[in-house]
Amino acid sequence: MAFSAQHQTLGTQLAGAVPTRPRRPPVSSSSIISASLPESGVSPHQTSSSRPLHWIRKKTLALSSASAFAAAAGGGFLFHLSSGTRPPGNPGGGGGWGWGSGGGGDGGGFWSFIFSPLSAIAEEDQTAAGGGQEWDSHGLPANIVVQLNKLSGFKKYKISEILFFDRRKWTTVSGTEDSFFEMVSLRPGGVYTKAQLLKELETLASCGMFEKVDLEAKTKPDGTLSLTVSFTESTWQSADSFRCINVGLMPQTKQMEMDPDMTDREKLEYFRSQEKDYKRRIERSRPCLLPFPVQREVLQMLREQGKLSARLLQRIRDRVQKWYHDEGYACAQVVNFGNLNTREVVCEVVEGDITKLDVQFQDKLGNICRRNTQLGVIRRELPKQLRQGHVFNIEAGKQALRNINSLALFSNIEVNPRPDEKNEGGIIVEIKLKELDQKSADVSTEWSVLYLVAKDLPTLASLQPGGTVTFEHRNIKGLNRSILGLLTSSNLLNPQDDLTFKLEYVHPYLDGVYNPRNRTFRASCFNSRKLSPVFTGGSALEEVPPIWVDRVGFKANVTESFTRQSKFTYGLVLEEITTRDETSSICTHGTRALPSGGLSMDGPPTTLSGTGVDRMAFAQGNITRDNTKFVNGAIVGERNVFQLDQGLGIGSKFPFFNRHQLTITRFFQLKEVEEGAGKPPPPVLVLHGHYGGCVGDLPSYDAFTLGGPYSVRGYNMGELGACRNILEVAAELRIPVKNTHVYAFVEHGNDLGSSKDVKGNPTEFFRRVGHGSSYGAGVKLGLVRMEYAVDHNAGSGAVFFRFGERF
Amino acid sequence: MASPAAREWLGIQSLPGATQTKLHELLSKLKQENVSTVTILVMGKGGVGKSSTVNSILGERVASVSAFQSEGLRPMMFSRTRAGFTLNIVDTPGLVEGGYVNEQALDIIKRFLLNKTIDVLLYVDRLDSYRVDNLDRLVIKSITDSFGKEIWKRGLLVLTHAQVSPPDGLDYADFYARRSEALLKFIRLGARIKKQEFQDSAVPVVLAENSGRCKTNDSGEKVLPDGTAWIPNLVKEITDVILNGSSPITVDQKLIDGPNPNDQGKFFIPLILAFQYFFVAKWIKRAIKNDIKNESKPLWELRDMGLANREF
Repeated sequence: MAFSAQHQTLGTQLAGAVPTRPRRPPVSSSSIISASLPESGVSPHQTSSSRPLHWIRKKTLALSSASAFAAAAGGGFLFHLSSGTRPPGNPGGGGGWGWGSGGGGDGGGFWSFIFSPLSAIAEEDQTAAGGGQEWDSHGLPANIVVQLNKLSGFKKYKISEILFFDRRKWTTVSGTEDSFFEMVSLRPGGVYTKAQLLKELETLASCGMFEKVDLEAKTKPDGTLSLTVSFTESTWQSADSFRCINVGLMPQTKQMEMDPDMTDREKLEYFRSQEKDYKRRIERSRPCLLPFPVQREVLQMLREQGKLSARLLQRIRDRVQKWYHDEGYACAQVVNFGNLNTREVVCEVVEGDITKLDVQFQDKLGNICRRNTQLGVIRRELPKQLRQGHVFNIEAGKQALRNINSLALFSNIEVNPRPDEKNEGGIIVEIKLKELDQKSADVSTEWSVLYLVAKDLPTLASLQPGGTVTFEHRNIKGLNRSILGLLTSSNLLNPQDDLTFKLEYVHPYLDGVYNPRNRTFRASCFNSRKLSPVFTGGSALEEVPPIWVDRVGFKANVTESFTRQSKFTYGLVLEEITTRDETSSICTHGTRALPSGGLSMDGPPTTLSGTGVDRMAFAQGNITRDNTKFVNGAIVGERNVFQLDQGLGIGSKFPFFNRHQLTITRFFQLKEVEEGAGKPPPPVLVLHGHYGGCVGDLPSYDAFTLGGPYSVRGYNMGELGACRNILEVAAELRIPVKNTHVYAFVEHGNDLGSSKDVKGNPTEFFRRVGHGSSYGAGVKLGLVRMEYAVDHNAGSGAVFFRFGERF
Repeated sequence: MASPAAREWLGIQSLPGATQTKLHELLSKLKQENVSTVTILVMGKGGVGKSSTVNSILGERVASVSAFQSEGLRPMMFSRTRAGFTLNIVDTPGLVEGGYVNEQALDIIKRFLLNKTIDVLLYVDRLDSYRVDNLDRLVIKSITDSFGKEIWKRGLLVLTHAQVSPPDGLDYADFYARRSEALLKFIRLGARIKKQEFQDSAVPVVLAENSGRCKTNDSGEKVLPDGTAWIPNLVKEITDVILNGSSPITVDQKLIDGPNPNDQGKFFIPLILAFQYFFVAKWIKRAIKNDIKNESKPLWELRDMGLANREF
């Protein structure tokens, strides 16, 4: 109501009419745009985080654009949204545009043509009157035209159809097809009393769209009435210029009632002053966002039409509003057309200026509660377009939603724009948050069956209970600091066999919550066990006894995020590396089966110290530049990663080394495509290069390995060699097909002759080539890649299934 | 394995007189050059006649030779003295096993040779096999990797089974030339010696025929089809190699372990680090800053910043 009340120049009649129509309760308002954020829309860092826990919770995010707005405006606002989704059983509900004509039809120089979002007959009235769709027959002979005031005041009439009769064109149109249909709150099939029908007529007469309007009822044989709205459209003199002004947050002009007893002179005075007022208003108004192309379009509409009719204004309003809504200005609306009957049409728009940003915390029941999270944490995630003084845009709201969601602190996030009652045309952006529990723990268990040979039934001994224990203490001090612990064992009966643990402390906003610099400190204790790809045989060598590399250590680093994807990490790692053989006993050298059947025990040393256990401290740095983005689902852009491990000479045998890797991946978009949902992605060429090198002490477990799904496809992990310097190049061409893409690739990996510079030359010891190429083609099936890769060394191909992307 | 004390070279007496004379001549020549000990390392693939050649040179049956299997699983050193001159010959097992170079055998050889000096390497292969393949190259490569490129300056290519009737359409000299050329090429490739360098100090090729059916000349010396007595010829070439001015190879721990790649370039690490910081990391950082600057903002954001000028 707030926006419209002052526009109603025919206030006297309406003032009475309006309060009788209760506002639609906001709950039933169907104009809420709920945007539930798909999980895929979250930044890759989040999804790849090893905390799937967060994603169990469903996040429903209601971005209710102007819902409250609509409610406040008496259901009149956003007609398009509400009309389609009206709850059944309320045929007469919903909104109608009220059009108020200013100054009377015979005024002169100044005209004001006002949309007053008058509420029509509200549902409550309707249901009361309709009372479960009981209605009375008209009790008259069929097919006679009855004047409205001839109808009985006690009967409830059922309207079976509504027709529009244009007196000027002398045509009758079925109600639902006429653009004026939206003006009428009556609906075919509805049940109304005479009073309601009269009120409707009154509303129509006062809305400004019609010079003259009448309602006629025609009796039907089945006892229902056919209603004909016969009207003469209002028209104004043609205009040849169009102006759009932003009147948000401006006090609406009060229009004085014109005294019918005014002399001509007084009348002239009156119109002059009105005109002057309006000019001042235009001057004071702020420029609006509506771009020139749309303005030109509107101008074209004006020119084509000649005379300015109510229908045309309706169309102009629709066009202007459509642009705003398409661009995401969900709170924008055309509130008024001014300066009619002059050469210029002035379109007054309220764009939805944000007057306040309100962050609320709710408990599980939806009540406002005390917050734990510090406001600064949320504030830094909000785009500045949501702050006071900016125009509300739904995209900014969505971005806020995504950003807050990526904090992983809240179970429910809502961003609602709400009209500011104290400030006309203003929007209060409300952010409602439900915090997650600070502490959470999770235990999951699983049974694994060992050695299930075909005929054997699983025995108790072959069943192994395994499990994971997780605990998390998040949002410590309300600053999003967290401690995460993780303990996994595949055999709980004997957990010391393969106990994996991780304890991590994350401390974001190292430079303060209000500092735009985004640095996060992380410290973690970890262990890991991996099969070393260094001790792998070449294609000719059958079996190589595996070597396990166990790492236990402590890591501390600082990550500075420059953008969502680009970041710089630097830190320190202290770790103990133990190499073990199949039997889990510490081993010092790689082994190889001899043709004679024996084992050659004098393979490459597994550790630097030669004892099978190394301890070392080194500094680690990683800088990632990633400007990739998705174009209709295809990744396009560039990603460069430089990674450095710098030995500090601390540890067994005083390891001093510089191990560096540079990866450059470029995704070229091969064709310009139109962006948008459902549009096909462009074909993409991926070029990839990876160089790695190490100067100084290089233990076998840190050697670069060639071959494998992330090195040279078509080979096994490490099948091509283990080396000191590595160069990999790859090219992949992705062609979109239907919803997925097919791709062809060529890859080559080379040790640059550096295999011999690894102690013990594991490449040669295990009879590997040291270089290799492959080519192939594949198709992406959801998350799985199915590819056929040809190993160029052997010349044979095979089909592989892989998860995730190569690049 | 301790080498047995040098024995008197009695076997020389079993050689024909003419050969003895020539050998004595050569030995005295070496003595004149102040060389009183010569260590010869005999290497090659299995079954090419290494041990037989050793036996032939020494005139003794020191290494057991069997027609069908290789006997020597470990290297053997035979030391003989004659008139104050010591001749050490190290016979080694075949380097090939299962289609690959037997690294283990090579390793044993290296350890066996620890703290010894190699004066001459006899790389033995057969004259009567027609092909050279990758395996030959690998064998030569592993010898090179073990003892260094320099060993080939002290190397001799010995082609056994010299009494071969060449395939049809080729005369003996031609066949010999082509066979030796092919092998020399592989030595060059396997040892990764530059062509020019290789030509300057070519590896001499010597023919040998250990078979008892070897033709003999008037003085009872075993002769090659071209009529030269091969044992004196071989020893002559050996002396030439010893005297060609290159230094003998001393096998020490460092040579066995090979150069420690972990120590290479350690000195440059601070420089590399500085380069990485100032060029690579800074470059990426600059690129990120550029990205931020050039980031294409959505239209609503541009409008909000007042950059739209109502154009869109």
